[in-house]
Amino acid sequence: MNGEKFVTLKVNGKEVTVKEGTLILDAAREAGYEIPTFCYQENLSGVGSCRICFVEIEGQKKLQPSCITPVMADMNVRTDSAQVIAARGAMLEFVLTNHALDCPVCDKGGECELQNMVWKFGPRKGRFTEKKIRFHEKDYILSPVIVKNSNRCVHCMRCVRVCSEVVGKAVLGVIGREAHQEMTSFVRSYLDCDHDGMCIEVCPVGCFMRLPYRYKARHWDLKSAKTVCPYCATGCRMTIQERDGVVVRSIARLGSGFNGRMMCARGRFGYDFLNSKERLKTPLLKVGGVFKEVSWDKALGVIREKFTRADPKKVFGVASARLTNEELYLFQKLVRSVFNSPNLDSTSRWNENASAAFISAAGIPGRGTGIYGAMEADCVFIAGAQISDENPVTDYIVRYTTAAKRNSVIIASSRAMKLDSSSRMSIRHLPGRLGSLLNATALSLYMDYPERLEGTPGIDGIKGKTVEGLGQVSGVEVSDIKSLAGVLRGSASVSILAGVDFLRFREGILGLRLLGAILKTLGKQLEILPLLDRSNQRGAWDMGVHPLFGPGYGEVKEKGLGVDGMLERANEGASDAFYIIGEDILSMYPDRAFAARALSRAGFLVYQDMFMTETAQISDLVLPGASFAEKAGTFTNQEGRVQAAEPLLSPKGEAKTDLEIISAIGSSIAPGFTGADPQRVFEEIRGGLKTYEGIFPGLNDSNGVMVKGSGNTLKEFEEVKEAVSDLGKNTSYPYYLITGNHLFHSGRLSRRSEILRGLLMEPVIEISSILADELGVEDGSRVMVNGRESGAVFSVRVKKGTPKEVVFIPENFEKAPANRFFKRGETVARVNITVHSSF
Amino acid sequence: MEKILLKNLNNPGGHTLDNYIAGGGYRAVKEALKLGHDHIIQMVKDSGLRGRGGAGFPTGLKWSFIPKEVYPKYLCCNADEGEPGTFKDRGIIEYDPHLLLEGMIIASYAIGAISAYIYIRGEFAFGAKRLWEAIKEAYEKGLLGKNILGSDFSIDIYVHRGFGAYICGEETALLESIEGFRGQPRKKPPFPAVWGLYGKPTVINNVETLSCIPSIILNGPKWFSSMGSEKSPGPKLYCVSGHVNRPGLYELPMGTPLREIVYNHAGGIKGGRNLKAVIPGGVTAPMLIEKELDVPMDFDSLAKIGSMLGSGGVVVMDDTTCMVKAAYIINRFFSHESCGKCTPCREGTHWMTEVLKRIEYGEGKPGDVELLEGVCANIFGRTFCPLGDGAVMALRGALKNFRDEFAYHVENKRCAARGGFGAIGVWE
Repeated sequence: MNGEKFVTLKVNGKEVTVKEGTLILDAAREAGYEIPTFCYQENLSGVGSCRICFVEIEGQKKLQPSCITPVMADMNVRTDSAQVIAARGAMLEFVLTNHALDCPVCDKGGECELQNMVWKFGPRKGRFTEKKIRFHEKDYILSPVIVKNSNRCVHCMRCVRVCSEVVGKAVLGVIGREAHQEMTSFVRSYLDCDHDGMCIEVCPVGCFMRLPYRYKARHWDLKSAKTVCPYCATGCRMTIQERDGVVVRSIARLGSGFNGRMMCARGRFGYDFLNSKERLKTPLLKVGGVFKEVSWDKALGVIREKFTRADPKKVFGVASARLTNEELYLFQKLVRSVFNSPNLDSTSRWNENASAAFISAAGIPGRGTGIYGAMEADCVFIAGAQISDENPVTDYIVRYTTAAKRNSVIIASSRAMKLDSSSRMSIRHLPGRLGSLLNATALSLYMDYPERLEGTPGIDGIKGKTVEGLGQVSGVEVSDIKSLAGVLRGSASVSILAGVDFLRFREGILGLRLLGAILKTLGKQLEILPLLDRSNQRGAWDMGVHPLFGPGYGEVKEKGLGVDGMLERANEGASDAFYIIGEDILSMYPDRAFAARALSRAGFLVYQDMFMTETAQISDLVLPGASFAEKAGTFTNQEGRVQAAEPLLSPKGEAKTDLEIISAIGSSIAPGFTGADPQRVFEEIRGGLKTYEGIFPGLNDSNGVMVKGSGNTLKEFEEVKEAVSDLGKNTSYPYYLITGNHLFHSGRLSRRSEILRGLLMEPVIEISSILADELGVEDGSRVMVNGRESGAVFSVRVKKGTPKEVVFIPENFEKAPANRFFKRGETVARVNITVHSSF
Repeated sequence: MEKILLKNLNNPGGHTLDNYIAGGGYRAVKEALKLGHDHIIQMVKDSGLRGRGGAGFPTGLKWSFIPKEVYPKYLCCNADEGEPGTFKDRGIIEYDPHLLLEGMIIASYAIGAISAYIYIRGEFAFGAKRLWEAIKEAYEKGLLGKNILGSDFSIDIYVHRGFGAYICGEETALLESIEGFRGQPRKKPPFPAVWGLYGKPTVINNVETLSCIPSIILNGPKWFSSMGSEKSPGPKLYCVSGHVNRPGLYELPMGTPLREIVYNHAGGIKGGRNLKAVIPGGVTAPMLIEKELDVPMDFDSLAKIGSMLGSGGVVVMDDTTCMVKAAYIINRFFSHESCGKCTPCREGTHWMTEVLKRIEYGEGKPGDVELLEGVCANIFGRTFCPLGDGAVMALRGALKNFRDEFAYHVENKRCAARGGFGAIGVWE
């Protein structure tokens, strides 16, 4: 175990052997003794301030706080001596002196750490008869999701520490001193908050509370189910809870998942789309341009008729990467073996060649890469990822692990992000020029070791180029490239966190492949972790929902078309039937006009979803699907972690789970098609896919199960063209528009969540502080954004550190969709921004 | 006795560099720069100098804990003199700032610090101004900055003004405050000698301690250790306040008996009244009564009788003083200055103050004195830093000697010492 030392000590007379430097608290817990704590929180810096966790150490006069005292060899620790018990009681009596004790009206009642602790260890009677300190009479609302009552605070500072150390925001702080100190934010409101509710989750008492959950239930009224967050591919384990059929909260518990208590705003507050009244409840068939409710039998009959009659080459299928593994597997089986069509894809936004090349460059068929393992490396290079917005919890994990390990985090992106403050170096490149930056870095390394790197695949492509030239193309200083190469050269192990900007812009994929090959040749221990933005994107690829490869990245007899190709064919009128599950192509496809034109000519369009989205409105048959909370199944996150989920509710109205629908369609066309039992389907997956061999994910695995190596390596796909976008000077449209997910929104689900809409309702544009100064605008001002063919008004968010030329619009607002500004094949749109006056 | 620390106190213009040099100032720096680092540390060790901030830790030993191979290192001067009844550092800072600077330069040289900070109490606006002026003068003369006096040693000194928190006199809270965080103590270990300012090895010394250094260099450790008590030698500043005829700042050898300080130097009790109690070393130190007055004022002798030398702030109280009121005022100070970090100090001192206030105002209930003792027991030894313990020690000192007076307050709702109750006026 790489030279780690172990020490043996006695806890209450029982011998335990733990790693050197372990806290007494952890050692005692390992030995099976309970020590109560308030201020201690995993992953946060120890403060030792609440003094509840006292233990007695033989030979030391004073009691020691076990949460900050490391073990020493031959220590003799007692956790239950009379002295310790007296001290615990005394501390609890102190904590209660100024605690409000309004448990009957407190939301935390029943699951309050203070209540439990006093019940177990506390004095049965208090002696405090003075007037309690009251900070305010009424709770105050800090944000649309957070409400606070300082009178209940026990001053453990977990909220303040989690805010700065994990979330990376300094929203919370402490005002005042002594018993009058109050953990709060300035002017009692959250000005610049992630709204992730981490302060609520770590609060041991009812000081920070969820506003949406307020006065809704006691925890024993709730029915819970363990599931996986449906938003990004970080795949946080969460528990959703309902009362009377209404989901009232989602929580992350310590020990129930790899994310511990961490969740982001979307995960913690974005559950309420489940309760939406707009959920589809019956199949709808368009008759004469109007939707009419029909029975399932009728709907299935129509599908059978249309799909059996269609030319298999002209049948297309697209499934959302938010379905379960079982559904995705069955979907590809349906399309390939029942529809006999090779044309299927899991995402509408990315070109299939690009995604295949990315999968191959990121080594996804290889094996799973855990984020904690990746963070062990000397250098963590985050490229092409808008990690703080797209994968917030991965961002949190990177932040607190790098603070503890002090390894070098290097970020290359074209936008400033929150994680910059935790990085050793942040490189800003021009949008879509990540490839040149990676090539320049590769070239710089090649120039250091020309002999060793000779013959690395792809090296010839950069030979005649210069670092200076490539640097200029990417808009990065040569010195920055040299220092990046220097850090990579000096690190024994390197992790690359590669985000979906590689897929949005494509240019970077070859660079990623080359850099990866070079680092491997140089003998570095290399891990590549893809950062994806749909909860089961990796699962979709694993299941073979891709036109170029089958389940387990196996070869397919016939290569099909991706969404790009399907729409192109549909546009030409060469589409007979189109089956889409949960992928709102119209709002997500870059180049909205083209998608609308193509889908209107798509032949028979079947759309299956929870909501009447824009794509649903132009389709011929709409099938009501189910949400993640209504399904049993498994999800595979970006790391390759397979996690099981259980259903909490049953589908609304006549809606069915997507698995049931797919299975029903299959059986109606080909009797004997796999049934809708998720366990049976997973058995089939386990039997058929090498990566899932022997994987039995259970609801109680706190870490899920990592996928195994498939043994398949993807063949070299059609080379991704270095489609470098035109970034030349253009005086009428001087700014580069890029797009991606917003922290609070990531598509059709989050836009249906009233709570998330409360956090951010209207479309925003993020501009640099330099540009904001030039235009004379600030946060909340309104600007007119004009593209070549489209224009819209946006509310401004100012970001420090973004280059002046780069502006960002989240892709998720139907009121002013970002994809209006893009043309097909164009990755960076050019826009002009003027101040909007409403007069 | 020849004045060492206060020689410029009554010298108009003594704070300027010219006057300081005329009086032989900065000779010690020249001498020190000729000596090796270890040699100076050994000299300070031999002199037996003990920290004057209150804990009395041997200064030379503290310096020797600094690891050699870590770079950079820092020196911090603790000038956050907030202990009620103490005004010794203020005298040096305002009237002889160069003495402090000289001591700091030598100390920095000895430990190899690259920069030094003076953390001065926020209320000392005049003192901070004097220090800024003195530092400017010293830079102009080449006594600070790069390669001082032609040697290869460079040192910068910064003045950092506090924001009005007593706790920042605690060394780790002081470091937090300099770093820009909330003034709250850090966990120890690691001690500042290993993990101090900005995570680097740091020595934190009191103003008076550092001001002793130049004379040790010039006159040698033997000369220094010949003064005062055997185990805590050297000169000591005593700040005498309260009901005495001549309150003031006195420089006397360590170990001068308390009776001599009160009756000879400070001129005895005002108005010929009788002495009731003396706080020997700032309000943290448990108070002494008449029969204990012969104690020598040094670290060990006071510790032996259950009190402490602390900062040397001698507060004299005559027989008209109400001890409940005194205890209340002292406790209110601690509860107000508690930083809020740890539970027992934050909640306990607040609780004690509320109870004492009630007793003082004639609203005491039977059992209140026992309650106070119980709360004291729950706080003592369980706080994060010594502030909470200090509050307990002060109250316990009063309870030990004047328990009857507390009981009288509770029982009769009036004060034994003054015949009435609750006439606090001036404090409220």
